[in-house]
Formats: sequence, C-alpha cells, structure tokens
Amino acid sequence: MIAMTQKATTAMPANPSSPLLQRFMRPDRLQANAVKLVTVLLLLWGWATIDNFLSTANVNAILYSVAAVGIAAVGMAFITLSGNLFMLSMGATAAVSTIIFATTLHLGLPATLALVVIFGAIVGLLQGVVVGWAGANPIIATIAIASIVTGAGALYSGGLTIVGQGDASWLGVGTFAGLVPNQVVLFLAIAVLAEIIVERTRFGRELRLIGMNPSAASVAGLRVQRTLTIAFLVAGTAAAVAGALFASQAAQGNLRLGGGLDFDAIAAVLVGGVAIKGGRGRMMDAAFGALFLAVVSNILLVKGLAFEVQLAVKGLVVVAAVILGALIGGIKR
Amino acid sequence: MTSRKNGLMRRLGGASLLVRAGLLVVILGVFSVLSPNFINGYNVYALMQTFALLGMVTLGLSLTMIAGEFDLSVGSMVAVAGLITLKLGGSSMIVGTLCAVGFGVIVGLVNAAISSWLRVSSLVVTVGTMMTLSGLAYWIGGGQVVSTDNIDAGMFLDDPILGIFSARSLLAFAAFAAVFCLMRFTRGGRDIVATGSRRQVAAAAGARLGISLAIVFVISAGLSALAGSLIAISLTTASPELGANLMLQAASAAIIGGVALSGGVGGPIGVMIGVFILATLNNGLSAMGANASAVLFANGLVLLAVVILDGRLARALLERLREHRARQHLAAAAPAH
Repeated sequence: MIAMTQKATTAMPANPSSPLLQRFMRPDRLQANAVKLVTVLLLLWGWATIDNFLSTANVNAILYSVAAVGIAAVGMAFITLSGNLFMLSMGATAAVSTIIFATTLHLGLPATLALVVIFGAIVGLLQGVVVGWAGANPIIATIAIASIVTGAGALYSGGLTIVGQGDASWLGVGTFAGLVPNQVVLFLAIAVLAEIIVERTRFGRELRLIGMNPSAASVAGLRVQRTLTIAFLVAGTAAAVAGALFASQAAQGNLRLGGGLDFDAIAAVLVGGVAIKGGRGRMMDAAFGALFLAVVSNILLVKGLAFEVQLAVKGLVVVAAVILGALIGGIKR
Repeated sequence: MTSRKNGLMRRLGGASLLVRAGLLVVILGVFSVLSPNFINGYNVYALMQTFALLGMVTLGLSLTMIAGEFDLSVGSMVAVAGLITLKLGGSSMIVGTLCAVGFGVIVGLVNAAISSWLRVSSLVVTVGTMMTLSGLAYWIGGGQVVSTDNIDAGMFLDDPILGIFSARSLLAFAAFAAVFCLMRFTRGGRDIVATGSRRQVAAAAGARLGISLAIVFVISAGLSALAGSLIAISLTTASPELGANLMLQAASAAIIGGVALSGGVGGPIGVMIGVFILATLNNGLSAMGANASAVLFANGLVLLAVVILDGRLARALLERLREHRARQHLAAAAPAH
C-alpha cells in the first residue's frame, strides 16, 4: 500500500501541461521507458531499411531468440532487484537442464518439464541458502555453484551430446493458434506472472525493500532470508526452463547449449533499466531489455556482422547501460 | 599496553599464515600418502609451472580484493593477451608480450576509471569488461586456436632452472616480491589497504582512493595479460577458451590465502600459500586420475566452502569465538596483576 501511494504522488506531474511526457521523463523510469521507445524505433528503422525485416520468418527468428533469454532475464531480475547483483550460474543450470531434458524426454514432455523445473528449483534453493542464510557473496557463490553444476553435468554426460528419445515439438516448434510460438506464449506468461508477483504480493514488496536497504529491511522485521531464498529459487527455476527451451529447439542436450545465457540475461536486465544497486525496476523491464537485445542482434545478423561483433556490441551496450543508469541516478540525487 | 596489543595482533596475523602453511603441508602429506611418488622433482616442477600461471593471475585479483573491489575480467584477459601475443609476436615474442601487457594496462585503467567515476561496484563494471574481452577474444582468433611456430621462446621460458624452477615461475616469484614491497613499504600500498577497509574514513584521512583503484586494476589486468602472454608462448597456442576456469581458481586461491571479499585484509605471502594449496589440490586430483570435469567440480566445492567461510554468518561465528578467547585470555591474565 505504501509503495502504491508513493508511486501515485511521484507520478503526479509538476507541470500538468503534458502529463505523458512527464511520466516518460520520471528519473526512475526514464531508462526503462527510453529502451522501449528505442526498441520501437529500431523496429521501424529495420522495417524501412532492411528487406523482409518484418517478414514472418524474421519476426519468428526474433521471437524464438527472445523467449529463452527473456525467461532467464526475468529470473535474473529477481536477483538484481533484491540487491544481490547477478546470478552467474544461469548458463550452467540451463546447460545441465538441456541434458536432463534430453535424457528424460522418453517420459513425455510434461514429466520432463517437471523434472527440469525441480532441478532448477533445487539448484536455485541451494544458492538461496548460501547467499540468503550464510550471507556469502552472491557473485562468487553463484560462480562456485556454476562450476559444481557444470562439473557434475560433464561427469554425468561425459561431455557428449545426448539426443532426446521423444517428442518435444510442442515446445520446440509448436505455435499457439497457428501464429505465436508456444515458447513466446510461455515467456509472456512467465513475465506477466512475475510482474504481478513483484508488484502485488507481500513477497514482491519485501524483495524490493530488501534491495533498497537490506539492513533497514532486516531491522524493520521483513523476512530477509526467506525472501532472498525464494528469489534465488525462482531465478534457478527460470534458468532451467530456459534450458528446456534450448533443448526442445535443438532436440538434444549438450553442455554448450547454455553458453552465453548469463551474459545475455545480465545484459537484458541492465539494459531494460533494472537498477544494479537493487530495489528499482520492474520485471517487465527485463523482458523488454531482452526484446531490445534480440532486435539489436537480429539487425546485426541480417546486416551480415559476425557473432564476435555481436558479443562485443552486447558488452559495450551493458557498459553503456551501467553508465547511463549511474548518471540518471546521479541526476536524481 | 599498546605495544603488547600490537604484539598480539602481529602474532595473530602470523598465526593465520602458519595455519595456512600447515594446511599446505597437510594436503601435500595426504596426496603423497594417497599417490606414492607424488613429491618428486618432476611433479614439484609441474606445481611451479601451475603457480607461474595461477599465481600471477591470483596476485593481481587479490590486490583488487584487498582494495575492496573485484576484477571479474582476469580470466578473459588471459585469453585475449595470449591471442594478442601470438598474433603480433611474429617477429619477436617480446614485442607481442609488450603489446599484450600494454593492452592490459589500458583495460585496467578503464576498469578503474569507470568504477571510481560512477561509484558502482567493480563487479558490475568488470562483468561488462569480461563480456567485451571474451567477444574480442573470439574476434581476434576468429573463434579458432591460434598457434605459432616459434618454439624457442617457449623452450626458454620453460627450461628447468635448478631442477624445479623455470624462467616463467621465477617471473611469478618476482611479481610476488614486487607486490610485497609495494604493500609493505610504499604509501600506495597503505592507500590500497585503507581503501578496502573503511572507504569513507580512509578518504577523510587522506588516502588517495582514485590512485589506489588505478594501481590495483592496472596491476590486476597487467599481470593477467603477462600471465596470458607467457602461457601462450609456452604452449605455442592460444584460444578464446584459455582462461576459462582461471578466475574461479584465482578467487578460491585468494580467499584460501586469507584475502577477504569485503576488503582490507590479506597480503602476497598468504596469497602465495593459497595458490600453492589450490595448485597442489588440482595437481593431486589429476595424479589420482581425476579428469577435467572432476577437477572443475572439486574447484567449485572448494570455492563454495571458502565463500561461505568468508560470508556474514561464518564471520559472525568467528568473531564470537575470538571474543570468547580474548575474554578467557583476559581472565587468565587478570589475577597476575
């Protein structure tokens, strides 16, 4: 309730002449809104300058590339919002999930997905306990978990590619109403659900307040450890689901499949406008960040630029987003 | 009173080094029981070679940790430096190495500048640097392994000296000695420790925060670049995957060596012992027939254990233990007066 009234007062424009512009320019929403605007401008620019940019095939390519990364980014946003920076075990969790997906696909898709989700929840829970209860550094602890998970996955699979024995086409290539890929429907459902949970539940408000000031939150009697543990559990699960999406597309499990997921999710979260210092930003911002990066990557790709250039551009975009975020934060102060 | 307190503090510091050295001896002992012939001239030489790579990287990383920061980009810097060295070292490997180290120094300056300008955690800045550098590594190598036919330079670097040393490991020892002198005898060294201890207080007391951040990030990136150059020359190949698990091992070794993630604590001697502990562990596991995945798994467990010990809960428990001991100490000392 408090958060809502606060929002109402800050959203009240000082100059009522153009409330829309005022709302757009609000310092804590400026970056998130700007990214949405730039995404739309990029799409328009692509449509105007690149042949077949908005053809069904290319739009599908963008949508497929955004789904898994977007789900991971929404999961990552829980960690960043809680003030624990990043979870660097998402790629490893997703990679091992592809192996679990491929080895258990003969049980049928629902059972396989359930197993993958359970795996992600356990890995996330473990990190939640280590960070939330034992107070370990989140970055280093999640790097440690990443190598444990990767090492275990490599020992189990022998580093080989595992081909799934079963039908994953509903998730891999299936579409909803013959139009939107099921992967994208899943991504949107997860993003909206996460948005509602964070904006409307006690857990969400606690998460945001812990991110703003963990010691004040603890003194005020918020359930800090419990909330952090749940946040890590959610993020681990999101990473595992992203892995399931990769595996269903490739119809196989391989430890290389999750490769750049950590970086992509971090990039989406930071570009989308979730503040690194915690407490600021929304789940939908991360989802839009992922969409923005997917559009940028797609444009670089269809313009014929190499994978290396895309990686370097992503790195620079993250650095730029960090600088922009800090500068906007500075203006507000 | 003060002198006695100082003496106690110093003894405590010495004790923690002794504990670490003892741990190293125990691990060496365990492995020499588990796999006979573990301690022989060749294996000690192999340990020193591991130290040459991991030690240099850990030394740089630990300096950033002592200053209360963290350089996540050390691993990708090793890969980029190796590639730069072999790409530009066609005529002379010295030129290639100088270019790589120069590039490292620039990256270190950029890391320091962005961190201190924006006052954001260097974990965030160096995540960006790490991503950019790994993109650059794929760019330079085209995603391929780059190799050189200059094997003489590698032979020179790895030729055994006195049976167990090589030019490469002696360089690493020299780097440790230089950093030891920096930390012990210069104002910059004191600034670095102060920066990592209580930053606001340190700044108010006149510690030069910007300069200490510049020093630690330049040394960190520069040493990683040097280590990457030397390992690439020694292997005569470089690839974007070169430093993949190095950052993980370096962070573990630094924390085992007594450097705290919260900053202000630790020094080169402890770090050196930490590196030898981790190198012995990996070397011993390999000697017992563990493959790369098992070693990765074990390194993850080690890092998880040390990061929990470094964490809030364990620190609170240790603090309580230390208080308890101090109270006992006082109680024992009181009747004597």
